[in-house]
Amino acid sequence: MEIPFVVNTRKDTGLNNSKVGIWLFLASEVTLFGGLFSGYLFLRLYADYPWPERTLPILPGLLNTFILIGSSVTVVFAWAALKMRQWGKFQIYMGITIFCALLFMVLKAFEYNAKFNHQAVRILNNENPVNDFAILEGHAHYAKVIDGKIVHANKGDEGYFPQNVIAFNANAVSFTLTRPVYDQYVIDLLEQAGGADQFSLEADYQIKDPETGQLVTILEQGSELSTENLDLAEEKFIDAKTHDAEIRTAFLKDNWSKIRETNQDPGWKVVETQAWKDLQIDSAKKMDNNLMKAGISVTYTLKEPTLFYFDPDSVIKSDGSEISLRDDTVIKGELDQDASALPMAVDGIDFRFTAQRAIEEGIAPEAAIAKSWILKNEAIKEMWDSHQEWLRGHREILLEKDEEYVPTDSELYRVNWDQMVAYHEAGHEDIYEKAKEGTLHMSEFRKWTDGFTGPSHQEGSASKAAFPEIVIPRDKIGFESTFTPKWNTYYAIYFTITGLHGLHVIGGMIVLGYYLFFGRKMYESNPEWLANRVEVGGLFWHFVDLVWIFLFPILYLM
Amino acid sequence: MADSPEAIQKAQRLYMLVGALLFVFTVVTVAVATWPPLDIGRHGFDSSDAYLGLGIAAFKSSLVMIIFMHLNHEKPLIYFFYGLALLMAFFCIWLIGWSKSDPIRYGSATLSNGFYDPSKPATHPEHKVSQEDATQSADSE
Repeated sequence: MEIPFVVNTRKDTGLNNSKVGIWLFLASEVTLFGGLFSGYLFLRLYADYPWPERTLPILPGLLNTFILIGSSVTVVFAWAALKMRQWGKFQIYMGITIFCALLFMVLKAFEYNAKFNHQAVRILNNENPVNDFAILEGHAHYAKVIDGKIVHANKGDEGYFPQNVIAFNANAVSFTLTRPVYDQYVIDLLEQAGGADQFSLEADYQIKDPETGQLVTILEQGSELSTENLDLAEEKFIDAKTHDAEIRTAFLKDNWSKIRETNQDPGWKVVETQAWKDLQIDSAKKMDNNLMKAGISVTYTLKEPTLFYFDPDSVIKSDGSEISLRDDTVIKGELDQDASALPMAVDGIDFRFTAQRAIEEGIAPEAAIAKSWILKNEAIKEMWDSHQEWLRGHREILLEKDEEYVPTDSELYRVNWDQMVAYHEAGHEDIYEKAKEGTLHMSEFRKWTDGFTGPSHQEGSASKAAFPEIVIPRDKIGFESTFTPKWNTYYAIYFTITGLHGLHVIGGMIVLGYYLFFGRKMYESNPEWLANRVEVGGLFWHFVDLVWIFLFPILYLM
Repeated sequence: MADSPEAIQKAQRLYMLVGALLFVFTVVTVAVATWPPLDIGRHGFDSSDAYLGLGIAAFKSSLVMIIFMHLNHEKPLIYFFYGLALLMAFFCIWLIGWSKSDPIRYGSATLSNGFYDPSKPATHPEHKVSQEDATQSADSE
């Protein structure tokens, strides 16, 4: 079938159809990204926490801007080459464009990877009138499990993982049947305990037979834990609940009919009348014998207390003697405080939230910060004290420039990784004097080389030695996450917009790659058609560049 | 639009120039955001820095649209599509202004720009008085 008006223009629009199509598509894209930018604005202007200003390392974003601008130039040159019937030049320019797209995605992957491995913890501390709210950023130490015990590991060791786990010495596990048990949790528990025979059912799981009124045993006391057994219990539980629901509905229907027969107002207020209440009491008595009344959980005891490790994301509640997993499985025993602590190298100390909460509560920020739990750590305290010294010098420099200049909130209440390195390399001495000289900060260049996608924790890195070590007990962790959408709304919108933009880059790369690798035949038969296609693909590519032109300053510089 | 080979040959110089301008203004954006001597407004990031950064971004994107996307010589239908899309996008962004005009959260008195005065929230005694006044005057009528 011949597609009309892909080369020639229509008389009514003066355009070929491909161009009308792409512009309609771009119009919808403008609206889509407009909505996302609007979402960003809402999140930022209404944020109830200090917005992470200029928090991303600039260099990868800057390089990606250069790369996309460069590719925008080469794609327009590729189109020009086709118009001038220069196939060789077209291949070169289009090849560079696609290489740029690939490079963009590689840099993006480095950036994302750094965020996925960068830990943040909000401290919980009831001794502080504002509940602390101090934030520590850094890298969790790596660990591995040997003979059931957590031991320190190096990156790359077999089975290594960031040591951010909840270790729990369990003696019983209760599975809730009111919702599906997540099979993977059962499999993990069986694996960690060393087999199904380590678990035994505490008591018979029985359900009453509605016909005979006798109890029927579904799972026998002492039976082993398996996903099949739990599936069976769940199936029987659901059957029993369905049966009970039908009985209840039948009784309700019956009661409703009776109420109508007594000529009472059958409106919704009938449930408040004494007649209705009497009927319900009567029904409950009658129903009692007919209901199957299945138990809502099954409990397995462990032959001996066993240490289990859980991903904190899987645990929704923990109180030291009992933890609940996301599928409502309850594990009883005792939290292993030592193994559950989070050891990390700190590359960011942030009291901005503490200060904000203190101001809201009418407390001086400095007083609230002084009571922060993290300042009990000597190395962190030393960093903070050095920062106060730097601040003293910095404040004077600002005043010299302009008497209305005051330090920003970030300068006042946050110690960034590059400042830590500077204080450390100065030996925490003469910080005020050096701040006054303006020699204390890391140069932008060194910031870029030492922390291309974030502070470097690599062995041998010059920065690594500066980062204070801390072990955070589990009960001091109010909230923890890597720098993913879970951490805060900034990262949520950052990953949403840049992720969607990245998908556009991949989409554009596929389309432009198709023209490059499969366009030769069309070039020989109808070069103008291919030129039109490249123009249309190029328009999309320029749009991708255009979105990034706004994303870069908004996400990286503001 | 540059359509003949000669015209395209000529236009390539313009494309290079625009590319160079885009590079330069990217560097300018980073410089005004990170180099203290170029920091405008209050010390550190503030609304004036935001306007400047967004202004440069708007200028750069205009270059891309006008030159690379050939909006300097397009047919009216394309301008119509694009205009409509921009209108929708601006509407989305304008929603934030609309949300700020919520009198319950932000104020009861209207300023000359059409927004409510945040210094006079709806729970402000003045507002209550004015409501009572309104009721009284309605009663007397």
